Amino acid sequence: MNILSSLIFTPLLFGLLIILLPSAWRFSFKYIALLATLIQLGLSITMYLYFRTGSAYAGVSNEASFQFVQKAHWINLNLGNTLGKMQIDYFVGVDGISITMILMSSVVMVIAALASWEIKSNLKGFFSLFLLLNTAVIGVFCALDFFLFYIFYELMLLPLYFLIGMWGGARREYAAIKFFLYTLFGSVFMLLVMIGLYLSVKDPETGNHTFNIVQMMNPANYDAESIFAVWGHKTLLGMPARTVGFAVLFIAFAIKVPVVPLHTWLPDAHVEAPTPVSIILAGILLKIGGYGIIRICLGIFPEVAVSGAYWLGLLGVISILYGALNALAQRDLKRLIAYSSVSHMGFVLLGIASLTPEGISGAVMQMVSHGFLSTMLFFLVGVVYNRVHDRDIYHFRGLGSLMPRYTTFVMIAFFASLGLPGFSAFVGEAFSLIGAFKSPSVNGALPYWMAVCGSVGILLGAAYFLWTLQRMFFGSLTLKGGEVWKSALTDLNFREIFSLFPLALLALVLGVMPSLVFDKVNDSVLALVHFLGFK
Amino acid sequence: MENFLQAIDTLTIRFALAAVLLPLLAFMVNVCLPGKNNKVAGWISTFAILAGAVFSVFVFSKVWNQHQVHQQQLWFTIGQTKLYAGVLLNNLSVLMLLLVSLIALPVHIYSTAYMGKDENSKRYFTYLSFFCFSMLALVVIDNLILFYIFWELVGFSSYLLIGFWYTRSKAVIANKKAFIMNRIGDIGLLAAIAILFTVYHTFDIDQLFGANALVRSIAFELPGGWQYVAFGGIALAVAAKSAQFPLHTWLPDAMEGPTSVSALIHAATMVAAGVFLLGRVYPVFTELELNILAIIGAFTAFMAATIALTQNDLKRILAYSTISQLGFMVMAMGIGAYSSSLFHLATHAFFKCLLFLVAGIVIHQVQHAKDEYKLDIDPKNVLYMGGLAKKMPFTFVSALIAGLALIGFIFTSGYLSKDGILIQSFEWAEGKYWLFKLIPISAIITSLMTAFYVTRLIVKVFFGEFKLSQINPSIELHVSDGGWQYKLPLVFLSVCCLFPLFSFTPFLYERAWLLNGFQRITGLDRVNIYHTIVPVGVNILSLFVIYWAYAVYVMEKALPFPEGGWIFRLSYHEWYIDKIYNKIIVGPVLALGKFARWFDINIIDGFIHLLQRIGIACSKITDWTDRYIIDGLLHLIAAIVLSIGNFARSFQGGKVQYYLFSMLAIILAIFLFKILI
Repeated sequence: MNILSSLIFTPLLFGLLIILLPSAWRFSFKYIALLATLIQLGLSITMYLYFRTGSAYAGVSNEASFQFVQKAHWINLNLGNTLGKMQIDYFVGVDGISITMILMSSVVMVIAALASWEIKSNLKGFFSLFLLLNTAVIGVFCALDFFLFYIFYELMLLPLYFLIGMWGGARREYAAIKFFLYTLFGSVFMLLVMIGLYLSVKDPETGNHTFNIVQMMNPANYDAESIFAVWGHKTLLGMPARTVGFAVLFIAFAIKVPVVPLHTWLPDAHVEAPTPVSIILAGILLKIGGYGIIRICLGIFPEVAVSGAYWLGLLGVISILYGALNALAQRDLKRLIAYSSVSHMGFVLLGIASLTPEGISGAVMQMVSHGFLSTMLFFLVGVVYNRVHDRDIYHFRGLGSLMPRYTTFVMIAFFASLGLPGFSAFVGEAFSLIGAFKSPSVNGALPYWMAVCGSVGILLGAAYFLWTLQRMFFGSLTLKGGEVWKSALTDLNFREIFSLFPLALLALVLGVMPSLVFDKVNDSVLALVHFLGFK
Repeated sequence: MENFLQAIDTLTIRFALAAVLLPLLAFMVNVCLPGKNNKVAGWISTFAILAGAVFSVFVFSKVWNQHQVHQQQLWFTIGQTKLYAGVLLNNLSVLMLLLVSLIALPVHIYSTAYMGKDENSKRYFTYLSFFCFSMLALVVIDNLILFYIFWELVGFSSYLLIGFWYTRSKAVIANKKAFIMNRIGDIGLLAAIAILFTVYHTFDIDQLFGANALVRSIAFELPGGWQYVAFGGIALAVAAKSAQFPLHTWLPDAMEGPTSVSALIHAATMVAAGVFLLGRVYPVFTELELNILAIIGAFTAFMAATIALTQNDLKRILAYSTISQLGFMVMAMGIGAYSSSLFHLATHAFFKCLLFLVAGIVIHQVQHAKDEYKLDIDPKNVLYMGGLAKKMPFTFVSALIAGLALIGFIFTSGYLSKDGILIQSFEWAEGKYWLFKLIPISAIITSLMTAFYVTRLIVKVFFGEFKLSQINPSIELHVSDGGWQYKLPLVFLSVCCLFPLFSFTPFLYERAWLLNGFQRITGLDRVNIYHTIVPVGVNILSLFVIYWAYAVYVMEKALPFPEGGWIFRLSYHEWYIDKIYNKIIVGPVLALGKFARWFDINIIDGFIHLLQRIGIACSKITDWTDRYIIDGLLHLIAAIVLSIGNFARSFQGGKVQYYLFSMLAIILAIFLFKILI
């Protein structure tokens, strides 16, 4: 069996196993889930090691240069003479951009499984949904057929809705439905564009309409008279059809990223979600937004992306600053971190919008890095919340002397997140910004002031993280809950250290040796920039 | 891009790397050491820096005034840009390498005694080693990305050390402030690096600013004046790290850290990084930009000196004097006195470090008295000190030497370096618009103010009677100079504060060997009168000022400015700069954050909730329509049918009489109907 397919469906199999096992065995479920994620991690590490680099393996718009490809006919329906044959393939494969995302997701999944130890009720439901979600997210990163992509994309929603809605906090139903509707709003319109694209694109070999994403990237595959034809200049609602198509897909992914002003599901979902779900949300789900923008928006509508780069950059800068300012004003530690995610993902958008190799590589790096760091941050919030069921920053003071190991990890996570050199976030943010600075003189996609405003985000990032450190962890020990809290707030245990340590180490290793990511990404990014029409 | 190096150069590189990496090794070992105040930690760190210093001396002897050594290897590739990591050893970097390790060594020895009793001494030495690693790496690396990395790591280790006593809220507020203000400089530096990269497509320092500087051969111009943003970024970076106006306010607060840290980081090494940056990127500046630097430097020097005149916190006085001296260095860079600026950096490092170590000993002793008698006093306040010269003669002599060097008195190293700057500032202003004359004049005034506050400091601490004993005669001070870990560093640094280390002729700064190590030399020929008149004049005036200050504080003559006047208050409150910043920057940013939060909750979520309400309202309307109009219609029909049925049913009573009766009624009705029509 193809390694990629095993990667996607291993969790599903284990999920089925959990469903079939009797509930009396429920204490084994977490170990089964952990085993599934570990197998998955092993597979993705193998893939990473066997991944070949070089311009012949760049991927992006060249179907032949994808790796670990599996392509099989899936749905073939003859729809008569007018509509031709319906061709939906099971088509998976990876290039440099997806391989890094897959490896990152596998790591995050292991940590999320470890964080699931805190779940106490309805274990069967939780772990089977968890593993279903796992299959869906990995599937999204591998799918190269739009139909398949869409199925995985929608498949993520269902488990997440229940995971937040059933295992969440006090306002979990509100948060779950808000999350669900927001995301559904994006994907419903995505469905329309997907069908429009299907009807516009023909497989040059078979002459059938196709959902193949890679073939959608080639202008020659479009019917001259079709709605999304590159040279057709059709209009939709009075606007150029391709611009509308781009905007619709962008909005769908921007909700996931999330880009201001489509972000308000995020803080609520995070605050209500249990720790493992927060970890998956921040660690992986947000990256699907960024990945989708690179793979689908830039891939299928390159010329719209180039002309609209200014607006993408603007939204990126707004997200950076607005998210950071909001983080500055939060009292709830988890909300603060949720908003810091908004701010950090803004750098991803800014880097992509720069359309330079530096910027896009920086954006990918930032996604990988944020995957590890946000996981760490949410895990850390979970630690204190599990012990005293409170997260208000002002209810704690001087935790440093009570929980020294915990504070050490918090400091590592905070400083890594605020972009301290030596950690991965610095490389991501610095090169996103350098890309943005380079853009005005290379391709004119962004003006200089955006880069300058983006860098102010780094400053605000330092402000809210350090202020939190000062308020919660330093100073003399005072707790709202008094002695009860003091005895409840024990320092990190072995499992927690075991989860946090690899993340800290990964952030450090990627900061010192960014080539671990850049070497895999480089060819693809260069191919993408070339594909967009730049050197 | 490979450099072909001779065997000896490879050795030099290895030694330089060893000097840099040994503290890192010490850091890692200390992290793994068990216990909180493990004595071993101090000795591991000290040994690392000692070995590093030996290596530095070797590297210095091999590179100084000989050829530059540069070696690099590929670090990573991003897009088509290859990033190399390497070591660039030229006069500037080996001077700094030597200086940093030579200053760090006595501070480490001193710290083993000073911090040895602290319950977290292991953590202290771990941080200290990490700082030394960052700083040493900063001075030898060869590309701008690495420069930025270590630049920020230096700031980070300073953050850790300022907040070393993290349970004191003042310390953690100070370290947050230091890091954030340094961050302002960092984003400036990052912007400058990015702009340089867009123009020249390289991060390599040697290619950009070296012998065949790219910044010279290709015009550094961008549309819309964005190259000035690059300059502004560098200026911000320098202002933040080297505590220049307007980003200087973190340095006095940083004095909340252990005094030995202040000596190493906030006086001698880290704060010099800004000046070092100027030295590295010097060719990029235009004349206008240099003038701006000169003005910033001169203003900072003047302002900080006025503040130092009235402060009562021993370390704060020294902090402001550091800012003032750094102002001199930046000003020197601005007026083209490149080598003098670096010379002053070197001499200042020694005497300022010495002054802080002295301050540490003094504060330690007052702290003991405080602990012993349970007094509620600030042990750093000079108003509680006095008369310590008799009790700690050794420390007193060291303080005296360092103080005279700071004043720039003859026979000290400070004389050689500072007078060079003063002379060259006069030469520079010659033939320029008259306003430029303000710079050398303000420098002279600053120099005289320095003499005043140094004298005030020494008099308050060492002369007269011990103030606490005067207040409460039962208090007796059992103080001494301390053990060899205190004395040895003081002796070493005191010797380095005297002229022979830098020049064999104590009067003529032009002969100093350090000045001749750099190409950009101006004003070394004794062509004009300034070379005689400035040093003589400044020294004589300084003597008067010293006597005046002595008169004021020892013989208790009246002050020229009465305490409480607006000039005094301006100086005492540090020009109100912190208050202004809090009002016009910190406050509004926090308010903006609150506004963003409000906007998020009320406008964006408000909009979402409005949609939700509209959706619910729509569904309620459809529900109502469904229930009352559509279903109502249906029910109406059903009701009509039902009532008709009921009506018809009423005829089907099952009684024959009724049937007959109704038949009769119908027939009658038909008849009547027919008759009537």
